Amino acid sequence: MRYRALITALAVIAGVSFSAEKVILKKPPESLKKYYPPASKNYEFISAMHTMSTAFYGINLNINEGNWEGAKRWAQELKKTYLKVSKMVPEWKSYFKPQLADNLVKAVSSKNVDRVIGASKKLGQTCAKCHQDNEIAVKLVYHFPSFETIKIEDPVEFMEYKTGKYMEKLTNSMKALKIYLLQGEGDKAQEAGMNFVERARQLRSMCSKCHTNKLSEEVIVGKEFEKALNDLENLLSGDKPDRDRVFKLLGKVGASCTKCHNVHLIPQVVKEAFEK
Amino acid sequence: MRILLIIFLFLVSCEKLEEVFVEEDLLQRPQAKRCADCHAQIYEEWKESRHYRAWKSENFRRESENYGKVKCLSCHAPHQVDPEKKPVLRAEFREDGVHCVACHFKEETRSMHGPLKVWSPPHPSTQDLDYTKSEFCAGCHRETYKEWKLAKVRKSCQDCHMPSLGKKDLIQKFPFYLFHLAKRRTSHRFPAQKAKPEDIEVHLKGKELILVNVGVPHNLPTADQGDPKLYLIAQILYGDGKKRTLRKLLSPQSKTALQYRVPYHLRIPDGDVKEVRVKIMRKFAWSDEKETLKELTLRTPSP
Repeated sequence: MRYRALITALAVIAGVSFSAEKVILKKPPESLKKYYPPASKNYEFISAMHTMSTAFYGINLNINEGNWEGAKRWAQELKKTYLKVSKMVPEWKSYFKPQLADNLVKAVSSKNVDRVIGASKKLGQTCAKCHQDNEIAVKLVYHFPSFETIKIEDPVEFMEYKTGKYMEKLTNSMKALKIYLLQGEGDKAQEAGMNFVERARQLRSMCSKCHTNKLSEEVIVGKEFEKALNDLENLLSGDKPDRDRVFKLLGKVGASCTKCHNVHLIPQVVKEAFEK
Repeated sequence: MRILLIIFLFLVSCEKLEEVFVEEDLLQRPQAKRCADCHAQIYEEWKESRHYRAWKSENFRRESENYGKVKCLSCHAPHQVDPEKKPVLRAEFREDGVHCVACHFKEETRSMHGPLKVWSPPHPSTQDLDYTKSEFCAGCHRETYKEWKLAKVRKSCQDCHMPSLGKKDLIQKFPFYLFHLAKRRTSHRFPAQKAKPEDIEVHLKGKELILVNVGVPHNLPTADQGDPKLYLIAQILYGDGKKRTLRKLLSPQSKTALQYRVPYHLRIPDGDVKEVRVKIMRKFAWSDEKETLKELTLRTPSP
């Protein structure tokens, strides 16, 4: 029973999960930058986190198998890394309680499961507090790929734009198509619609800057997306495009926009907000 | 009898002789400039190639986010190039890009492979006809290779991108070149080739402008990355004086490049079309400049 409690306590701590009424997004401290690209390609900070997480589970695994010596070695590893990490980001120093890491080593040395559970919980709470305050923002800022360097060539103006500007042009041409259709201005609707089709087709070139395996590209801008664009183009090339059919096809194209935005847009908004 | 004995001993010692002349460092994956000690001409050609700039090109540095996009790196500094196999990233001398050792040295035989049968005391050599086949390039140039296969032509990648230079000395180092015969050699500049105006046929048929790539046996433009483009601008003049301009961006990345002998159809908006002025421009993967490839005016025949 006590072992089960230990397993549960350590498993929770090792994963540092938390539940909360609110989610905090605080700008990560400047000093964290040096552990992530472009300043460093070694991801020292996250590597240390993984080391601690593994060490926590190492304690769990070994005690569960009755190997207290093995558990002690992992407890010492955990303490060593905890102390190292406490000095890596000065702004986060107050989250760390080095004495609690030492207490865990002593608890494991005593081979007393209740002491290990107590010491683990107390140490784990320091991890959980820091994760609760910072993990989401750090993941969004440092682990999500940036769109900052990606440029896309506008097939209408033959000019290169950053992603945000390009998206603005794309959506404006779609809005113009809708507006002209609703106003009954066929020629202008055709031109705006053709521009929209071309701009939407060009999105694939943006995906391929990162998605070189092509499969993820197919999920977002695959056959259905291409067919909707081809149908829209054919419809707009006719004399008087059917308004309802145009709107229906725009809905199909929009499904791909939603898929991509659901994955990429929210992290990008947070990243950009922190960069301002 | 004594002469025969000397000849016999000489022949027997030939194999050993090779070992005597082996320069061990050549089998330790040296930098390209070490190969230039003997193969000076090939080295100078390679220095003008895009393979030479594969790693240090400013475009690549920027697009790979300062070498942060790991999956892009292995083709820009491959350890060993093998047919239809994506190479692994080299640990040493990455600034040399796609260099001599990457293509010619094989770990399996610890020798320099190439298409010719040669005797080369400083390093073991192995004749390998894979070097004459398109498959050799396919490990890195995967998409272009697939396009070429669909084109079903006899010409290989090497036929166009490593054109024959006729018979030439493989080495230039004195006095060793005196012991070698000139061999049929191909260019190590790896010219990218540029499409000519006649490589794209343009027709006006009914309500469609049709473009056909008739000259380049892979997509035009082609490239897994690098983003080369064709720009198609069609100015349409209607009988009632109305004008429309259609613009299309044709690129491998947006899947709109011109496939070999597969017509590309551009539907012209309805109306009494009198004339279509067509301009095709291009931008190469390695340049930011656009240039005109072809210009022509097509008129609808009078009924």
